[in-house]
Amino acid sequence: MIGVSLSRWTMAYFAAAIVALLLSEALMVAGYGFPALPVQAPQTLVLVHLVAIGWLSLLLCGALFQFVPVLVARSLYSNTLPFPALLFLLAGLGALLIGFLQLAGTIDFAPSLLPYGAILLAIGFALVLYNLGRTLWQARPLPLQARFVAVALVCLAATVAFGAIFSFAFGTTLHSDALLAIAGQGLPLHVSAGLGGWLTFAAIGVSYRLLAMFMLAPELNGRRPQAVFRLGSAALAVAILGGLASLLCKAPVFPALLIGGALGAVALALYLADAVHLYRARKRRIIELNSRMAALALVSLAASVVLTIVLLALGRLTQQVGALVFLVAFGWLGGLGLAKLYKIVAFLTWLECYGPVLGKMATPRVQDLVVEARARRWFVVYYLAVWSATVCLLASQDLAFRLAAAAMTVATLAVAVQLVRTRLLSNVAAASRLPGSVGRPHLLICMPGPNR
Amino acid sequence: MTETFAELDVRPILRQGDEPFEKILEAVAALAPDQGLRLYATFKPVPLFHVLGSKGFSYEANELDGGDWEVLFRRSGTPAVAEPVAAAAASDAAGWPKPAQQMDNRDLDPPEPMVRILAALETMEAGQVLSALLCREPIFLLPELAKRGHAWHGAFEPDGTTYKILICTGGHRDAAA
Repeated sequence: MIGVSLSRWTMAYFAAAIVALLLSEALMVAGYGFPALPVQAPQTLVLVHLVAIGWLSLLLCGALFQFVPVLVARSLYSNTLPFPALLFLLAGLGALLIGFLQLAGTIDFAPSLLPYGAILLAIGFALVLYNLGRTLWQARPLPLQARFVAVALVCLAATVAFGAIFSFAFGTTLHSDALLAIAGQGLPLHVSAGLGGWLTFAAIGVSYRLLAMFMLAPELNGRRPQAVFRLGSAALAVAILGGLASLLCKAPVFPALLIGGALGAVALALYLADAVHLYRARKRRIIELNSRMAALALVSLAASVVLTIVLLALGRLTQQVGALVFLVAFGWLGGLGLAKLYKIVAFLTWLECYGPVLGKMATPRVQDLVVEARARRWFVVYYLAVWSATVCLLASQDLAFRLAAAAMTVATLAVAVQLVRTRLLSNVAAASRLPGSVGRPHLLICMPGPNR
Repeated sequence: MTETFAELDVRPILRQGDEPFEKILEAVAALAPDQGLRLYATFKPVPLFHVLGSKGFSYEANELDGGDWEVLFRRSGTPAVAEPVAAAAASDAAGWPKPAQQMDNRDLDPPEPMVRILAALETMEAGQVLSALLCREPIFLLPELAKRGHAWHGAFEPDGTTYKILICTGGHRDAAA
């Protein structure tokens, strides 16, 4: 056991992710894309991919470069590869968004940039997958939490593959019947693999460890988390592989999605039961802001499951799928991401700056890097705004939705300011901020060194 | 490449609350060149994977019914790249003096256990041993111990939830860091 060192580029991923989140929120405030335009409109695709790739995927990649090594107690395969991967991902996202703007007619030049965006994104994600894959491969047999991440990475590859097929279908001329069938009917599979397989499954795996770690709760490895993993993996296999098989046989994909969705709902219910158990079994009575706010993300996940079932029962799922995806993306994934960022940025910055001098001189505590009272109200505003916005979408109140989105934007901006203050040690009393040879941390790069 | 396995069951030793590390290293030293080791333990002996990895063994761990573990160590030919840290981690605690200080950090909020251990080490003489109980593997502490020239030996206790680490203070501490 040689321990885990700091991931060099994680902060840069986090920064890019938050910029993408703020941009996408600003677009919603401006009434760009859904709900003013249909879900399939190119403008909505700009918004959706800015959130899914720019905010959530970059956030998750940055977090995994730090936490996959923690899950498997091994060093990251490469601390250098994440940087070129980030450049490819940002360039690919930019090209993809321009490609959608070309489809929308906002930008008027040929040829389409969609295939170039897909290629750049595929290279970027391939670098991420190679790096994390090598790290996991060296650590076999994998502990349960890391197995969630392994399945999530497979789903990421599937999501990128579907996306690339769509990009080539929209941006070039495809001649393969099979690829055209996927491009025509594969959208639900792309969304299931991305939101369900990649983002949600990885978040579940990492949250099992982070919730236990930050609340001093016993690690869960028993039957229920095993069942969550097996049922969840089965759900994804049925929905994605079963859906793909149906599609290639020219059968409807809905049955595969329904069976996969039912298995997935059971897996999520068991996961939520585990999460409640972690909160109840914690040794730490007073929990930090990140754990309290993560609970609201879990509430959003539970609400998403219930909403799916209700909409399905009412026969309104197709019409209201936008509201559902919004709640999953901003309430569950985005809420959990922001809550955990609040702790992770503080902890990694503290370790980078003060780790080398711990015990040799007086140093601030991790909690001295944050002012929870200041951040708490903005987190609450964020969640209330997300839930209100979901209700507005369900009730087709577009103007009210934009107002709620404005509240989300302000709250996100305020939390982002707190994260930057934490990173730059601005919340630490000036007298104790930089003892001895401790240097000021760089905003975007972790550089633990002997003189820091 | 290894076909035959010597068998070692350390479960009785662990159940008595004793430390089987020395016994395992003896068994490894006694292996024939083409022989592997089949080890039975009451928990997944993760620290051992790294220690034997540095001696050129790969491993395959299987959970048995009842929560015990069977681990097959095979000679993989080349010793894993001996990182300087791994050498320290692989320290055999058998020859170390009795701990001069003991601490129970199991109920402390992270990263307080790490803070207290590093603070205590600064007050100790070179060669003295600190024993600490933790509620998880201290993955962020270990690189710091290595940087400061301390050696350590850590493993989960038979209960599977308490991690016990012994740290032998190094002589060349970097006072200026």
